Amino acid sequence: MNDMAVRLGLRDGGRTWLRWAIPVVLIIVLYIVPQLGGDGSFRLGEYEEILSFLVIAVALNIAMGYGGQYILGITAVFAVGAYGAILAAKYHPHGIGLVAMCIIGGVVGAVGGLIIGLPALRVGGFYLALVSLFAALAIPTVAQQWGLVGADTGIPLYAVAGFAPQIGGEELYIIVVSLVLLATLFSWALVHSRVGHRFVALHTSPQLATSIGIRAYRTQLLAILIASIMAGIAGGIYVYTQQFFAPGSSSVQFAILLLAGMTIGGMGTITGPLIGSIIILGINQFFTSFQQYNGIVFGVLLLGFAVFLPNGLMARLDVLSERLGIRPRAPSLTSGPSHGTAPVTAPAAAVTSANGAPAATAATVTAGKPGATLPAWPPVVGADSSDPLVVENAKRSFGGVTAVDNVSLTLVRGQIHGLIGSNGSGKTTLLNLISRFYTLDEGQIAVGSNRLDNQPAHAVARSGIARTFQSPKLMLRETALENVIPAVELRVRCTGPESILRLPRGVRVNRQARDEALEILEALGLHHVLLQQAAALPHGTRRMVELARAIALRPSFVLLDEPAAGLSPVELDLVTEVCQNLARSGVGVLLIEHNVPMVLSIADTVTCLHQGRILFQGTPAEMRADTTVASVFLGIDEPLEASS
Amino acid sequence: MTLFLTALFAGLAVGSVYGLIALSYTVVFNSTAIFNVAQGDLMMAGVLVSYFCLDRWHLPQIVTLLVIVGVVVSLSLIEERVAVRPFVARPVVGLGWFIATLAFSLIIETVASIIYGQNPVVPIPGALGNGTVTVAGVHVATKFILAFVVMIVILVALEVFYKRSWLGTAMRGVAEDREVAALRGIDALRISRLAFIIAGLVTALAAFVVAPIVSADVTVGLTYGLKGFIALAAGGFGSLRGCVIGGLLLGVAEQMFDLYVSSNYEILAGLILVLIVLAVRPSGLFGTRAVRQV
Repeated sequence: MNDMAVRLGLRDGGRTWLRWAIPVVLIIVLYIVPQLGGDGSFRLGEYEEILSFLVIAVALNIAMGYGGQYILGITAVFAVGAYGAILAAKYHPHGIGLVAMCIIGGVVGAVGGLIIGLPALRVGGFYLALVSLFAALAIPTVAQQWGLVGADTGIPLYAVAGFAPQIGGEELYIIVVSLVLLATLFSWALVHSRVGHRFVALHTSPQLATSIGIRAYRTQLLAILIASIMAGIAGGIYVYTQQFFAPGSSSVQFAILLLAGMTIGGMGTITGPLIGSIIILGINQFFTSFQQYNGIVFGVLLLGFAVFLPNGLMARLDVLSERLGIRPRAPSLTSGPSHGTAPVTAPAAAVTSANGAPAATAATVTAGKPGATLPAWPPVVGADSSDPLVVENAKRSFGGVTAVDNVSLTLVRGQIHGLIGSNGSGKTTLLNLISRFYTLDEGQIAVGSNRLDNQPAHAVARSGIARTFQSPKLMLRETALENVIPAVELRVRCTGPESILRLPRGVRVNRQARDEALEILEALGLHHVLLQQAAALPHGTRRMVELARAIALRPSFVLLDEPAAGLSPVELDLVTEVCQNLARSGVGVLLIEHNVPMVLSIADTVTCLHQGRILFQGTPAEMRADTTVASVFLGIDEPLEASS
Repeated sequence: MTLFLTALFAGLAVGSVYGLIALSYTVVFNSTAIFNVAQGDLMMAGVLVSYFCLDRWHLPQIVTLLVIVGVVVSLSLIEERVAVRPFVARPVVGLGWFIATLAFSLIIETVASIIYGQNPVVPIPGALGNGTVTVAGVHVATKFILAFVVMIVILVALEVFYKRSWLGTAMRGVAEDREVAALRGIDALRISRLAFIIAGLVTALAAFVVAPIVSADVTVGLTYGLKGFIALAAGGFGSLRGCVIGGLLLGVAEQMFDLYVSSNYEILAGLILVLIVLAVRPSGLFGTRAVRQV
């Protein structure tokens, strides 16, 4: 990110020493903690127990904090992995070391996670939370009765003849700490990879995710799978360090403790869950004298955080450091021009204007008409054909209301098709039918021989049809740039592991995706908000970011749902120019708008819907001369031309 | 055959417990779009009250019932205020409410354990005594029959309430679209409170009739809560009848698992049931609407 920060004239890119100080202190503390307590290997074992739990916390954070998959009962997966590892060690005591145990734990955990996750995902939402919690309850209960896993007393590995751990003492401790850090590093790498981008997009909004071609089910499953593998590995680490596993090692209460740690520290941050879990598990482990009352303490903490600080301590820290002046306050845009007014070549001016200095406004107008120099965006996805998008006799009812009734239209590449009509006339429904958020009752939608109406929504996006939403859907905790990158990543491709592990092709593609996103945002005049959280952006800018995201797919067709609503005149001009530029580049644009003069000025064809039916279809000139539209909307019997 | 029938009746009785919890989930969910994880522990709180009233203080059954209603409804209202309302009042993002209700459940369970102390699990006397009735040649405990009958009565009462009364219709409307409901003059917060009162009543009645069946074991609130969810998932989300059928199905499945497979692994019956139902028919046996509330 640093080179980009320089490009923006922001020296530290919004990062602060505090952000780095926390992990550094955390690492040092983790490594030297045994020296502080200092009474032998018994304590060391206890620390190692907590460390293996931290790996579960990191895993849960990936699935829940980033992926939005509430696999709360991940302790069930941990238990299954641990039993797998300990059974292997029990029956093959000579050949098995830490690595083998982690691998076995990971594989068994993956299977367990899929068995729990696959069915529950078909319903989604809190079903996964409850089904997995039930598994977390059921697995120890079953184990209590099962002789193979040692029933209630568990399996003591230290009593197995022939099992002699290769590593022990402080050496083992150092290795386990390193594994925790490795897991954390992995989670960081994952979150900042194309896989992580997909997780966050899906977590934010399934509609947003599918509109940029993300396969929801597969992505959810991947989140669960990765978390399960890590939890299983945690099981392997636990078994190796404790040389013991019993039903009591993973109760359902433990799952709730982990959740408390995650929530308090801050889900969806890298270090938050670690810190929160250390606090909670530490209290639980070392303050045993009032363990009876721990449930109340944790319950109140969990409740308090869920209600008052849903983003946890780490999010609080950001706000705090901003107030203390350690971290520069995010520039406020509300007082300044909202976008598109700063010349690309003068980053310093961009920052000034972002800070609301009126002088910049005057200066930037000289940069020319916004968008006058827009680069061409010829279609990339779906560009192998030249067929138009054809909607034939589309019909869709909701209950007794027929929202779209027998509508046909043709969206030609390189042309703008305006779709107008009053509220509730079926414009957005039609758009949702094309992008497959709704299913057609009758009719068909196709590009050439490629039927779209029987494909899932993500496949429609993947065949080159991008869209925006009436109320912009953005990942609010991400920056403007991060909002556009996942769309680019649909077409500049590499495998997930390449992107996560920063293999050569992964690094190249990651950078390419970022650069292309950057270019599109800059072309739309958004250079000064690239690194700002979307939550801080004003409405008009959010619309522009969403437009950038749709363009970033480099689609053959773009469906724009009221892109000009709520925009300033300058922004409106830019949107107009963007539509025309897209058409010039060979993209078919479907433009839903209430701003009729704008539509009539740029559209090649206009369709006017009224109560779900087509009232008029033709060129803008024909519509101006037509009397039906005017009579329905204005109650007059003369053409629009005359009345205006 | 006798064994089978005994297991069947026991299953229907235990299933009534699950069905009752599932009903209170549905009452809350229908009006708030929130799944109240603490429902199982609210019921266990009622069972604890029942133990103190009947076993310690030897109060009459009817007084006990009133005390349970008072305590459970109060707890339910407190929960609504501290753990649910913050999420009803603002647009629901993520599953914060899930965490909040789970936290509340943890608090209830811990407090209950502290109050109950180290006492062993003891049976609680039933409202109709400890007698049995002979049905189809099998002795069936009256407490089993009472639980079943109460569940059916509550089901019918709720169905009538939702279908026939204006308030019932309003309560269903709020969860479907809060904004539209607000435009029609329905106050979502009042409806949410009302939902927790009704759910509290259902839970209190459930606690009263199931106390003799589950005994004074205050640590199993979460277990019953989760099994209530399985009843709900199997029966179908949002359907009152589905709750009851799902509960009975789970109860009977558990008892049959005990009888024909192994009583040690009874808990697997629930897990297998829910995994199969979700794999084959995700919306549940009677469910019509998909659960995409989050």
